[in-house]
Amino acid sequence: MKVLVAVKRVVDANVKVRVAADNRGVDLTNVKMAMNPFCEIAVEEAVRLKEKGVATEILVVAVGPKEAQEQIRTALALGADRGILVEAADAQPLAIAKILKAIVDQEKPGLVITGKQSIDGDNNQVGQMLAALTGMGQGTFASEVNVADGKVKVTREIDGGLQTVELKLPALVSTDLRLNEPRYASLPNIMKAKKKPLDIKAPADFGVDVAPRVKTVKVEAPAARKAGIKVKTVEELVAKLKNEAKVIQ
Amino acid sequence: MTDTTQIIAGLTSLVDPGRVLTDADSLKHYGCDWTKKYEIKPLAIVLPKTVEQVQAIVRFANEHKLGLVPSGGRTGLSAAAVATNDEVVVAFDLMNKVLDFNPTDRTARCQAGVVTEQLQQFAEDKGLYYPVDFASAGSSQLGGNISTNAGGIKVIRYGMTRDWVAGLKVVTGKGDVLDLNADLIKNATGYDFRHLFIGAEGTLGFIVEATMKLARAPKNLTVMVLGVPEFRAIMQVLNAFQSKIDLTAFEFFSEKAVQLVTAHHNVPRPFDTATPYYALLEFEAVSDSVMDEAMALFEACVENGWASDGVISQSESQAAALWRLREGISETLAPFIPYKNDISVVVSKVPDFLEDIDAIVGSQYPDFEIVWFGHIGDGNLHLNILKPQSLAKEEFFKRCETVNTQVFETVQKYNGSVSAEHGVGLTKKPYLHYTRSAAEIAYMKAVKQAFDPNNVMNPGKVFDL
Repeated sequence: MKVLVAVKRVVDANVKVRVAADNRGVDLTNVKMAMNPFCEIAVEEAVRLKEKGVATEILVVAVGPKEAQEQIRTALALGADRGILVEAADAQPLAIAKILKAIVDQEKPGLVITGKQSIDGDNNQVGQMLAALTGMGQGTFASEVNVADGKVKVTREIDGGLQTVELKLPALVSTDLRLNEPRYASLPNIMKAKKKPLDIKAPADFGVDVAPRVKTVKVEAPAARKAGIKVKTVEELVAKLKNEAKVIQ
Repeated sequence: MTDTTQIIAGLTSLVDPGRVLTDADSLKHYGCDWTKKYEIKPLAIVLPKTVEQVQAIVRFANEHKLGLVPSGGRTGLSAAAVATNDEVVVAFDLMNKVLDFNPTDRTARCQAGVVTEQLQQFAEDKGLYYPVDFASAGSSQLGGNISTNAGGIKVIRYGMTRDWVAGLKVVTGKGDVLDLNADLIKNATGYDFRHLFIGAEGTLGFIVEATMKLARAPKNLTVMVLGVPEFRAIMQVLNAFQSKIDLTAFEFFSEKAVQLVTAHHNVPRPFDTATPYYALLEFEAVSDSVMDEAMALFEACVENGWASDGVISQSESQAAALWRLREGISETLAPFIPYKNDISVVVSKVPDFLEDIDAIVGSQYPDFEIVWFGHIGDGNLHLNILKPQSLAKEEFFKRCETVNTQVFETVQKYNGSVSAEHGVGLTKKPYLHYTRSAAEIAYMKAVKQAFDPNNVMNPGKVFDL
């Protein structure tokens, strides 16, 4: 079975992001970029399926800037077999889903794995949109995935508990945090990954218009918290709670 | 000595209201560092807020022949900041402000009680970097760092605390306030007393202010962990990488350390295959060519049999996770009540030295388990021996005393140091002569005499007069 994994290049999770001076987004100059953590989990799950003999080939796809090749190479070092980069900076979820649909139509994977969301936009849309566009069943927020007999059983993390769904293959799974713990890329595998095939494509190759449909009006940092004060007496505290904070009567 | 009540009353008149503490909890809290093996017995704790108050305390101590013990973040490992003999503890917790920042000189003038992490954060906010870093950076204070010449994990690239001190303000044991070096880079005007106070463990006077240098911020710090089949190969890996790349850190640890850390913390192994030793390298991956160089060096290490496997961080979180393999060791070992030593030799002698120690412990204490780790890039080894389950704590420590002598004789044979970065304090005082000659120690005492004639400054630490 072929497994398609979608990965995204995002700001490193450890970076403290700053709002850009023009309030149109986040300042990305000299900021460390990395693979979206949920995508790392998706790659790891695919690699584990291959190690179990369930998957036979792992295709990793990124829609992003030229530099997203780095994240595809990382996925190849972790165990994916080949990569496709569709060069489109700042593509929005719907455009990404349409490009992925075109690739799914061409490649006909038995299973598609995506992260549940990317930590930059936090949209949580691509997986669901792709499932809708392709007509595949979807098992989102997966904390356990079992493939057997042409079906995939997905344990989903939902409010207040776990839900298990069974989907006919081909299907789409989006990963939650507890699905697995991704491994490190080993140096010998990073070197081997340099020889693995990586195709560069453009959105036009798939007939997808990536023009933005959603307009960002303004990006602002959260209001800074006001400093606390010290009160001298209990009476003063009570007075402030009554008159200023208005939390007691 | 004058009556205790009078002393307390006198001290109380010197500092802000409520800044002299005598309750049992405070005496215990401020009176000791991380060593926790001495009986803590301070007379009082005093928390000055200004240089003038510190000066007044020192003059008062001279008048009344009181011993003074400095206290910073109390994270020391040599019992230098420990009061066991009715001393007055001078805690710098309230002198915790960064007073001044100079972007042209790239310096920050700090009070002695500024916490290391506070300065690191301050530098980061200014787009700069304070590079001295170690596990206790969240608690340790600059005054203590300077007084022990703290090292840590970035020494291979950035040096010790000493290298980052541009100027000092001190109150000497006589009660004089001296401004040392005035933050100059070039100053060829005789003795540089700044360097005497660095590493003096408060025996000459108290550091009240320090102007610290700051560096440019490192870019894209990337961590590699390599599996190394034998100890000598670690040095080959170090040589190979250092000849081509400016490493910001080079640490090593043994498989035993990895087993313990991964079992006790939520940290994954770097790779599945176990190897006897691991090297952790950190460098600035500023360009593809640096990465290519690092890859080529790894390949060369594999071809030569110096490394068998390796991983590299792909993100800052992975870099942090790989660092936890090293930084989690001390904490993981603590429940085993390990016998610890912090020793150093010149880098080229590390393999022979380590082999000697292994042989001594292996032949004479076959039931002891050694966990080695350390900042091997600068010749600093942390020797940890775990207490066997079957042995009682007292018996274990008694036997370790004899290990001590043998370890230090070996240190002496290699012209090494019995304390690489933890200081002398009380714990290493009996062993100072393994590293310093009798003549040298006599000069040290003469220097102390000049700055502190009444022996009020941290008496009984480093050496006995």
